[in-house]
Amino acid sequence: MELFSIPLIFALVAAIAPKNVVRYVGLTGAVASLVATIIRAASFSPPSVVSVFDPNYILPFGLTFKMGYDGLGLFMVILVNVMVTVILLSNLNQKTASERSFNSMVLLMQFGLLGVFTAMDGIMFYIFWELTLIPIFLIALWYGAEDRKKALIKFFIYTFVGSLAMLLSLMALGTYAKDFSHESLMTVELSAKSAFWIMGGFFLAFAIKIPLFPFHTWQPSTYTVSPMAGTMLLSALMLKMALYGMVRWMLPIAPEAFDDMQCLVITLGLIGIVYAAILAIKQSDIKRLFAFASISHVGLIAAGIMLWNKEALSASFLQIANHSLVAVGLFLAAGILEQRLKTRELSSMGGVATLAPKFAFWFAVIGFASVSVPFTSGFIGEFLLLKGLYSFNWIVGLIAGTTLVFGAVYTLRAYQRSMFGAPKIEAFKDLTWNEMLSFFIITVFVVILGVYPQAVIDFVGPSLDNLFQSMQADNTLVP
Amino acid sequence: MDALIVVFVTGLISMFIAMAKKPALVLGTAVVGLSVAITLMVRQWYVPNPIVNYEGLDFNKVAIIFSALAMSFALLIIVGGYDYFKRESEHTGEYISLLLFSLVGAMCMVSFTDLFMFFIGLEILSIPIYVMAGSRKKDLRSTEASIKYFFTGSFATGILLFGIAWIYGATGTFKLDEINMLINEGTAQGTLLNVGVLMVMASFLFKIGAAPFHFWSPDVYGGSPNIVTGFMAAVVKLAGLFAFMNMFTFTFGDLSDLWVGALFGLAILTMFVGNLSALRQTKFKRMLAYSSISNAGYALLAIMVQNFETVWNLWIYLLGYGLSIITLIVISLVVDNDSDDIEGYKGIGRKNPIIGFMMVLGLLSLAGVPPLAGFFGKFMVFSNAFDQYPVLVIIAVINSGIGIYYYLKLLMTAMSKEEDEEVATLKPSVLQYAVLAVCAVGLIIGGMITL
Repeated sequence: MELFSIPLIFALVAAIAPKNVVRYVGLTGAVASLVATIIRAASFSPPSVVSVFDPNYILPFGLTFKMGYDGLGLFMVILVNVMVTVILLSNLNQKTASERSFNSMVLLMQFGLLGVFTAMDGIMFYIFWELTLIPIFLIALWYGAEDRKKALIKFFIYTFVGSLAMLLSLMALGTYAKDFSHESLMTVELSAKSAFWIMGGFFLAFAIKIPLFPFHTWQPSTYTVSPMAGTMLLSALMLKMALYGMVRWMLPIAPEAFDDMQCLVITLGLIGIVYAAILAIKQSDIKRLFAFASISHVGLIAAGIMLWNKEALSASFLQIANHSLVAVGLFLAAGILEQRLKTRELSSMGGVATLAPKFAFWFAVIGFASVSVPFTSGFIGEFLLLKGLYSFNWIVGLIAGTTLVFGAVYTLRAYQRSMFGAPKIEAFKDLTWNEMLSFFIITVFVVILGVYPQAVIDFVGPSLDNLFQSMQADNTLVP
Repeated sequence: MDALIVVFVTGLISMFIAMAKKPALVLGTAVVGLSVAITLMVRQWYVPNPIVNYEGLDFNKVAIIFSALAMSFALLIIVGGYDYFKRESEHTGEYISLLLFSLVGAMCMVSFTDLFMFFIGLEILSIPIYVMAGSRKKDLRSTEASIKYFFTGSFATGILLFGIAWIYGATGTFKLDEINMLINEGTAQGTLLNVGVLMVMASFLFKIGAAPFHFWSPDVYGGSPNIVTGFMAAVVKLAGLFAFMNMFTFTFGDLSDLWVGALFGLAILTMFVGNLSALRQTKFKRMLAYSSISNAGYALLAIMVQNFETVWNLWIYLLGYGLSIITLIVISLVVDNDSDDIEGYKGIGRKNPIIGFMMVLGLLSLAGVPPLAGFFGKFMVFSNAFDQYPVLVIIAVINSGIGIYYYLKLLMTAMSKEEDEEVATLKPSVLQYAVLAVCAVGLIIGGMITL
């Protein structure tokens, strides 16, 4: 219980705390939640399923309120707590940090995310899934850039319509299952046709959130108009809900439709990888550039998940962690540039490296992680995913492999345009202590995961085996 | 039954107390009376062998929960609207007692077992509302609303009576259970009965504001004083929908081949008309009116499904819907702009964060965002209907998607940062805060109630 109550209580405290201390209230909440999670993680042995909340009370239509986690859930819970802490830390010297509503909303968002990753009931998953939409929408609405309204309406309606499709799928499942708990939903036997539609509903919700290729149009504009912390939350955590949802809900519940969906999703992922990368190369707005880069990277993860074998799934989780770290780092760099130069245009930047050497160094480190240099976490994750895709079909592997080339092009181009060249600016304030510390924490994780990725693979592996086993018990899809 | 009497007597007393020209006294009487009535009603739930049937009125458990809900809504509306009533202190008593009389009609409409009692209930419900709609005598729109509602309403009542006469002609009785039995046995089939049923259905569709009988509702909702709009949307719609369900799902259930097809098409039409028209509205109450049309469309789904869960689903649905409407109406009373433009709601979240928070709750609950009560209502109605009418449920969900656009636009207007020139802070009264607090609690936990 303390897992959820800490962020929620601190969200309420932050809503009424005095303005000059509210930034520390927010940070304390995130750290406290992180500590509680570490305590939980210390006593966790991988394959077990730990129940967090189970009131043994079923609503008439089958809502069971069950919450719990296994290795996959706990991995995401740790990721959420680490990332929220880093996000609040890096944001400390921004204008938004002294706002009560901002801190409150970030913690509410954390509460929603923790709920999504620990929900063991379909309706609870949906409830928390929607709950995360409100705080991020309000953060972007209150603290976003000038021209935000249109982008935000598009964002909200896009994601809400996607969620409604998921709701329809849940309703359809509800007519077969006795309640909405994860176990009952997994035991449902579906005909191939209804499984296809049910999986389609889930897929629409997830594809919009990830976002996959034809559903991505909300994403660059929303990332651009959101404030720095909002963009970080969106890219580092919110889209991970969808990737996690694919592993936890979409495939185990309606595996009967797996064969129909596999090629479709992998194709969309591949199109996203190449298309978004090419668009990223052409961008002149640094936030837009990183937004397209994000689409390209998550396309690879989504394709990897659809391979549905243990190696690819472990690599996907590794890559989920890596993408969160890198996205926070890159958007922090973009945010620092935007805040100090008052522009996002690459053409009006240049020569920052000579003025702010510390910033140049840390930005370079994150940039290397983003282009998957060996000994950073990105290397192992991408390598394993590409290997999996290659053995699925060599053409698929080849196309997906272009991400390495394109990734280097757009990341290095962004770095070079902004940091090197003739100085177009007189002064640039170098990193403050909290920004430096954030970069440092991100780098530590990036290097640890790069040198010892087995830690993640061992952590999620037994739970993946568990998932496969329970699917095998009542279904046809054998990994 | 005793609760019904208490409400009626409270209405009478408050009408006479009003002569003392002390609004607070009238409010006190109404609140005490309604509280007593609600307590009596709740106590009735726990009576082991109640005398439930009063020849025409039957306060069984279903009637108890629905009339308790109607009384609670009326209580919230009267308390929340007190500051509005108080402005014309010589009319305070009339407003409150008319609302109470109308509530008596609503209670008849959730407990009738007899077409005759149903008709009387409907008239007791409607006539005070005709008067209330026109209570802002100097406002042309209010007068228009009253006239329009009265004429169209009378016409619908006429059709209803005609339909009841045909049904009587076919069956020879007013009693619902006897009608049901005769239909069941097959002795009362035929054109006579079918025409009667369809006429009754048409007048019901008029009362709940479903397309194509909805044209009165934007004008009437928009022109009436805010508090009457709230009462119409919350209490009148509750009574109308419950009576609709009681009559069609249960009494005419065996004739479902006749009316379900029609209702299927009309539900789709109602949802689309309501949502698509609401998209372009610039007035707050007109938008609420179209939103309530689309909500009537969703509720029709509950009526078309013929199982007993549908009663409880409709209750939860109406709970979430009514609380959202009351929240928004109280906010509109606090904002108090005469032009009723949506632009007038700009930045209210900045002027008073609590009002802003309630606006978020109310609108998101109407839009069906979890975990608010509105979501659970919609979810239960839709998922119960999914088995029989998957296509209709998909259309309803698409409509929820359309609906989010106008709720969101209003929400963004309310929460936007740009302040108006005049930085007038909004100051709700203590009573309004109390009503909003009750609504907030109801909206947050209301959907998870089980009995």
